Amino acid sequence: MPRFRKKGQATSEPTRLFYACDIHGSEPTYRKFLNAAKFYDVDALVFGGDLMGKMLVPIVRNAGNTWRAGLHGQNHHITSPEELAEFKLKLDTLGFYSFECDSEEYAWYEGHQDRIDAKFDVLAKEKLGQWVQLAEERLAGSHVRIYLCGGNDDTDACLSALDEEAEDRVVNCENRIVSIDDEHVMATVGYSTPTPWDTPRERTDEQIGEVIDKLMADVSDPSRCVFNFHCPPLDSGLDTCMRLDASVWPPAPVIENGQPVYYGAGSQSVADALDRHQPTVGLHGHIHESRGLTNYGRTMAFNPGSEYGEGVLRGLIVAIRSGEVIGHQFTSG
Amino acid sequence: MAEAAAPQVFTRRASGLVRVMSPYSAFIYNILTMGIIFPWTYINGPTALPGGSLIIGIALAFLFELPIALAYAWLATSLPRSGGDYVFQSRVFGGGFGFTIVFAFFVVWILQWVALSGWLMATLGIAPTFLGLGVATGVSWFTSVGSWAATANGIIVISIINALVSFALLVSGFRNYVRFQYVMWYAILISFGIVVIMFLATDPVTVRAKLDGFALAVDGTKHWFAAAKQAAVAAGISFHPPFWVFGTLMVAPIAWTSLQWASYSVEQGGEIKNAHVFRNQLFIIVGSLAVTAGLLVLLAVAMQHGVGGDAMRVASAGSWFLLPTSFIGGAILMPNLIAIALTASPIIILLIGVGYILNSFQIVCNCYIGTTRIMVAQGLDGLLPDWFSRVHPRLKTPVNAHLAYFLAAIPVIIAYNKVADWSLRWALGVTFANGVVFMFSALAAGLLPYRAKKVYDASPGAKYKIGNTPLVTILGVIGFVTATFMVGAFLLVPELGLAYSGHGITYAVILGTVVLGLVIYFIMRSVKRSQGIKVEYAFAEIPPE
Repeated sequence: MPRFRKKGQATSEPTRLFYACDIHGSEPTYRKFLNAAKFYDVDALVFGGDLMGKMLVPIVRNAGNTWRAGLHGQNHHITSPEELAEFKLKLDTLGFYSFECDSEEYAWYEGHQDRIDAKFDVLAKEKLGQWVQLAEERLAGSHVRIYLCGGNDDTDACLSALDEEAEDRVVNCENRIVSIDDEHVMATVGYSTPTPWDTPRERTDEQIGEVIDKLMADVSDPSRCVFNFHCPPLDSGLDTCMRLDASVWPPAPVIENGQPVYYGAGSQSVADALDRHQPTVGLHGHIHESRGLTNYGRTMAFNPGSEYGEGVLRGLIVAIRSGEVIGHQFTSG
Repeated sequence: MAEAAAPQVFTRRASGLVRVMSPYSAFIYNILTMGIIFPWTYINGPTALPGGSLIIGIALAFLFELPIALAYAWLATSLPRSGGDYVFQSRVFGGGFGFTIVFAFFVVWILQWVALSGWLMATLGIAPTFLGLGVATGVSWFTSVGSWAATANGIIVISIINALVSFALLVSGFRNYVRFQYVMWYAILISFGIVVIMFLATDPVTVRAKLDGFALAVDGTKHWFAAAKQAAVAAGISFHPPFWVFGTLMVAPIAWTSLQWASYSVEQGGEIKNAHVFRNQLFIIVGSLAVTAGLLVLLAVAMQHGVGGDAMRVASAGSWFLLPTSFIGGAILMPNLIAIALTASPIIILLIGVGYILNSFQIVCNCYIGTTRIMVAQGLDGLLPDWFSRVHPRLKTPVNAHLAYFLAAIPVIIAYNKVADWSLRWALGVTFANGVVFMFSALAAGLLPYRAKKVYDASPGAKYKIGNTPLVTILGVIGFVTATFMVGAFLLVPELGLAYSGHGITYAVILGTVVLGLVIYFIMRSVKRSQGIKVEYAFAEIPPE
């Protein structure tokens, strides 16, 4: 019996992945994700998309050393630099971007969605760049790699930071086949099917199917491939959410007989790919409220859900060996 | 000087999360769970605790529960997740403790409630309704059905159908339940309102005469009330007891068996819209507690006014001492049966009966809803097999957990009605067991700022302090003390709980369920370790730095 074994090979120790997704700009949640490597003693950190925050809070300078900002429908008067730092920390926890400006600059943005979107891209890319650097620092000297990709809510402009900043420990796995141990590879697709929110990276179900097919053409043994697909399989129980009326903004729940209507918002192409390829495991996100697991033949598919707004990192530890899941554990850190 | 307008928060096109159950639905859910139809205070109190004041006892139960309910509001806003008590206790005390307590004292012991809800439906709903219809219409078939419903076999059949229909409704989709809940809510309010109005509009002399007439029509018994009272006196029941302070204090734990459920909505915290908003949780938990306590006091006042102490003691002699002379048609004289005896209108009888039947049905639904969510949470955490956590892809409900609970309930239903003393021992055991969960959750609330600091600091309740002490710590500790008092009463006071049965086996079984929980925990932990996984990871908070 060999004294040392390689990760992932038959009779060897399993490779342990930690998977999380949908943190939407939340600073403490991302930092927890990085620390999960050591805390959970895993071999790789896999992120499943939706890195970018959704809110941008302008902090307007008043006369004197004071500021004002809106949050949760309330007007916040900030009267000292210490309070300002505390307020920004709170925004970081919530995953909100912020910038200081004077009244004129604020007025320049107000009502101009194109300018606001451009500001989002700048701040989100800046933040993602910092996160990549932080990952490189924290994981330096370890064997752990962190695999990052975008989701439907992330813009391409923001995601460009992944290639620009990644060095040794960070791997941009978006739309690529990457190796995760000696015998397993991972296919990553960050797109989702169309949503009522008309988000930046939506594709039709057919287009998602084409992307998956193109990726899988390069995989010799699908049974030893991990699927990291942001969008969950259709009607799997991992994709259940309220049906929303997209004709109003923001989209509102569809109510029938006094009750909200639920439906599966996942992808048929993803479900078909799981059925057809029987990969090692399916890792999915996108629908925060649909935490759970299901099976496609021998393949287990998971969605750990998300509670990034409370600073909670929902995730999944999965141990794989020889193309099989030998253990899993949902986490709520 | 005019205040400058708040700068607008800029947004972009990004997806959002929406939750399901409205705070109002959760508020109704809690009131229905507390069960304004539960008769224990009225039918057990007068003879179990002679001289105890029902009204003061209910008020005390409200005061004892208030700090617990407030502490729960903090927990529910800090951790608005499905699986409530299990999540709270796991977070604060650790997974082994949280799993064992909530599995043993909720998941296992609430099986008793499934049986009990069937018993309530049979004896409180179907039996009185059909007996009343039989008398009002002169159709003997109604009377026969009413009498059958109060027999052991009748209760078993009704209980299993009750559990089966609830299982079918809930697995068909939670929205179907929520929709039907409104029907139950209004039916129960109408029924309860009718009973209260009837009692307020009558007097004890009229009630005694009406009960005589009702017993004559159902059983052919003449001068029923006088005979029942005489038998009760012969059994040693005092009809003129002096006011008893300790007895009044002990009424509170009985009333608490209803009011302790004010926080039950936390089990589906992940499904309540804006569950993290403090005022919503105050409305849902504390608001439902106040309304229910008020309704219970109202019923007590109405009964004392209209039914009177003598008839209440006769009814209580049937319930507490099981004196057959106090039964009518084989049924215990529950408040609604008294009300039904007062009217000759089949419509009024049906309105009363449907309300009580639906509230009984709602209780079995609560058993499923709360425990299956706990089982799903425990399954996802790896402490129960995955099978329990599976959500049906088409129905979107945890069918496996529902099925397991339905099947597990069947032998309990049969034993509850067939095994001698079962209902006495174990129905009282469940009041203790469930109380323990609330007791530890109150303590978890008190320790939350210290044991789950990050979660607490991010919660809306973190800003409330007295001096440097978080308000939730003060409320949690007070709640823990009041809950300990009531749990202790169930444990030690013969008139209330486990001590009444006089059997050591009752305590052994309570301990046995804890051991069962621990055994499952250690087995699952061992299985997970063999897979290279530690279950402790499910509960541990990762430091961000």
